Amino acid sequence: MVLQQIINGLASGGIYTLVALGLTLVYGVLKILHIAHAGIYALGAYMALVAYKIYPNIYFAFLFAMATTAVAGYLVQKYLYWPIIDQPRIVPLIASIGLFLALEELYRLIWGPYVIPFPQKFHWKTYTLGNIRLPGADLFVFALSIVFLAILYWIVNKTKVGLAMRAVADDKEVSEASGINSKWTIALSFIIGSALAGAAGLMVGVYYNSIYPTMGDVPAYKSLAVIVVGGMGSIEGTVVAGFGLGLLEALLLGFLPFAFPRDALAFIAMIIFLLIKPEGLFGE
Amino acid sequence: MKKVVALALVVSLTAGFGWAKPQKAKLKGVKLKGVIKIGFFSPLTGFAAADGLSALRGARLAVEQINKNGGLLGKKVVLVNYDDRVKSSEAVAIARKLVTKDRVIAAVSGSYSGPTRAAAPIFQQFKVPMISAYAVHPEITKAGDYIFRNGFLGTVEGKAMGEVALKFLRAKRIALLVIDNDYGHSLAEGVKMRIRQLGGAKIVYEKTYSIGEKDFTPLLTAARAQKPDLLIATAYYNEAAQIARQVKQMGWKIQILGEEGYDSPKFLELAGDAAEGVIITTNLNRDDLSSITQNFIKNFKTKYNEDPDMVGASSYDAVMLLAKAIKKAHSTNPARIRDALQSLQNEVLATGVLYRFTRGREVVKPVQVQIVKNGEFHYYGIIADPDVVTPPW
Repeated sequence: MVLQQIINGLASGGIYTLVALGLTLVYGVLKILHIAHAGIYALGAYMALVAYKIYPNIYFAFLFAMATTAVAGYLVQKYLYWPIIDQPRIVPLIASIGLFLALEELYRLIWGPYVIPFPQKFHWKTYTLGNIRLPGADLFVFALSIVFLAILYWIVNKTKVGLAMRAVADDKEVSEASGINSKWTIALSFIIGSALAGAAGLMVGVYYNSIYPTMGDVPAYKSLAVIVVGGMGSIEGTVVAGFGLGLLEALLLGFLPFAFPRDALAFIAMIIFLLIKPEGLFGE
Repeated sequence: MKKVVALALVVSLTAGFGWAKPQKAKLKGVKLKGVIKIGFFSPLTGFAAADGLSALRGARLAVEQINKNGGLLGKKVVLVNYDDRVKSSEAVAIARKLVTKDRVIAAVSGSYSGPTRAAAPIFQQFKVPMISAYAVHPEITKAGDYIFRNGFLGTVEGKAMGEVALKFLRAKRIALLVIDNDYGHSLAEGVKMRIRQLGGAKIVYEKTYSIGEKDFTPLLTAARAQKPDLLIATAYYNEAAQIARQVKQMGWKIQILGEEGYDSPKFLELAGDAAEGVIITTNLNRDDLSSITQNFIKNFKTKYNEDPDMVGASSYDAVMLLAKAIKKAHSTNPARIRDALQSLQNEVLATGVLYRFTRGREVVKPVQVQIVKNGEFHYYGIIADPDVVTPPW
């Protein structure tokens, strides 16, 4: 049974990781806690609704959602963060929170406060491997997360663009002195991170067949906990912490004898790390 | 610096717009003398919004029909409603407002157990009769003799679920999922009570889960390992939809038994074909041949372009009960209305026949059992055994 819980944990871990990655990428280059990122995540799910009205197809919906959230991410950094980049760091933080709240209300005003089902029904099959049941839905989420992670890994480690991102994250001034256009690099971090969040939002919409305005609430603070535990700005840390959290939640929920509010775990972990290792697992 | 202030102002104003203020029903300029005000509250925003809206619609339909038939005591009935966002603190504030500012002569709660339970003592304190349309928690009516309940007591419905489980579905090994709040716990208590009374079955897995949980797979996996032949899951429509879907996603072919929390078009919508075959205990029989029920269903569908559900029907009935009481008392005096309400008997309502109110102001009426067939709720059975449906007080 433990193996069974692990499969489920890997799927939710995949989602947490995808969302938290955007947060960590942004923190890495801008040292800003981009709380509004969770609003972009929810946008991904809502854009699926829009996409299906244009052309009812899941692949198109993915492309559409990721494209729109990428653009949204670009706009956020250009018009919200850049103008206040030299202000004390509390200013962009508050602006980000305000934007997040405003986005939630915007979704509520446009699409209503109710939970909306995903516009396409999926019929998942359950595969059996010996004693273990592999639900198609979990496999889908996990596999897709791995695919995105692989792409991200390739971008960050094997391309010039990725090199620039890592350089700017390390030291912005020196990178600029070396000829890197930090403005564009930062924009790109937002674009990539937001596209990932948009994909995650859409996957969650599919998995739970639910799209609603406050769906970004829990991912907002959970991804924060993930990057604190993993190390703010560290991609490896985020991956480890994201999947770790998903697994731990599934195992505890399955085995603890009392009603365990799974969201509490992320916070407990965050508090523990802040107390004993505030820079996180892989942070510095 | 100025730019920052401006930006901060803009963002905070935008965010501030978001905080919803309680919605006040439009009172078309009627003079106080010619109007009877009935208070109403239900969640119109938040996770329970679909239920709250349905409840409000039911209440409004009732008011509309009452007024079409000449109003009450020659006066027009006005529904004064607020959004309690399913928060107890809001419900208390709303109760005070309805009683002291709006001066309603009676009220209906179209909300969940938490808020209703918090608001009831306020209505009792000011001696304003209040009917809980469907909230199940026992403490609600214990607030005092002005508080009535139109729906089922949690323990009564729970016992009915136990009855369905053992007598209709012949279950022997039961997995029980309990939602962690007033609602879930009172239902679970009833289920276990009836299972003990009837004997012959045991609970092989029991787990309480937090409201708002979306991913039940860990719990369902653990439950499945105990090889139950029935899954009883107390839930509201969001959780119920996820439970049904995830059971199907896991490839687990087990009968699911739910309760009135599932009774919503939202459950059918979100669960999709995973809802097929789910059985629930509830307070509305869509196949009831009674003209009162069928007319209610027809009128609701016509006016709102949506199928009514249990909360809509219950709120409709609650308002109708108040109207009957006011007519019987032939007065707007709260004490007289209260007495008239207490004395009502054999009333045919949209949700079935109300035999009477007990001294504890709980209803004595049969529990409906419905099944999802072809994406709709239909008659499956009815529980009228006095052993089960008579409230303990």
